[in-house]
Amino acid sequence: MSLAALYPWLKALHVVSAFLFVAGTITTSIVLAAERANPGSVEPVAGFLAKSERWLTTPAMLLVWAFGLTLAVTAGWFSNTWLQVKLAFVVLLSAVHGIQSGQLRRLVRNKALKSWTTLPLILVSMTAVVVLVVVKP
Amino acid sequence: MSNDYESTQLRWLGILSVLEATTLVLLVAVAVPLKHIAGWNVAVHVMGPVHGLAFLGYCWAAIQAVTEGGWSRSEAVRLFATAFIPFAGFANARLIARKSAALRTGAVQ
Repeated sequence: MSLAALYPWLKALHVVSAFLFVAGTITTSIVLAAERANPGSVEPVAGFLAKSERWLTTPAMLLVWAFGLTLAVTAGWFSNTWLQVKLAFVVLLSAVHGIQSGQLRRLVRNKALKSWTTLPLILVSMTAVVVLVVVKP
Repeated sequence: MSNDYESTQLRWLGILSVLEATTLVLLVAVAVPLKHIAGWNVAVHVMGPVHGLAFLGYCWAAIQAVTEGGWSRSEAVRLFATAFIPFAGFANARLIARKSAALRTGAVQ
């Protein structure tokens, strides 16, 4: 079976991975914000969240990239401006996830958190990614 | 959380650093010459995305490590700069090994 024939399956798996990745990133962002607003309040769930970050959100991010790069190569989209801009937002989202993951590890180890607000950045990036890939302007 | 937690993270950072450096060398020193000298494009088409993924994985792990703390500004700059220079990622192994040793002796909190 050719990669072109696998396109709908690759796309479906890419979307599922993206859902899991964004859901995990938003959850971590909200939990970190809650901890900053009220120190000690999320301590009971920090370990569980760190585990889900490690086994669910991070693998989902890697799958998003793997399926996304395969789709872009298969369809020959790399020269399209919409994809280049979308890639910039996905890099930004991945970087925010890395920052939050580091902060979550600080939380688990009872270290002070930095006062970074990430939720608006995540929501703007996610909206831009969806609009760019659906509309393909 | 124990130092094992930290050591695992540093081990992953070291593995990804070597992986990123290896795929960059394969891309620049093998795949690109094959394309231009022998007209064989397949190696670039394969190694391009593979290196792209390795690069992203390494940068992500470096962001996570630096954000967690325990790295000086110059060490952080070095971690990211080496991702762009062929072979430099291999030198990171020494820096990361030094960090691990400091962690074991309690010099890094």
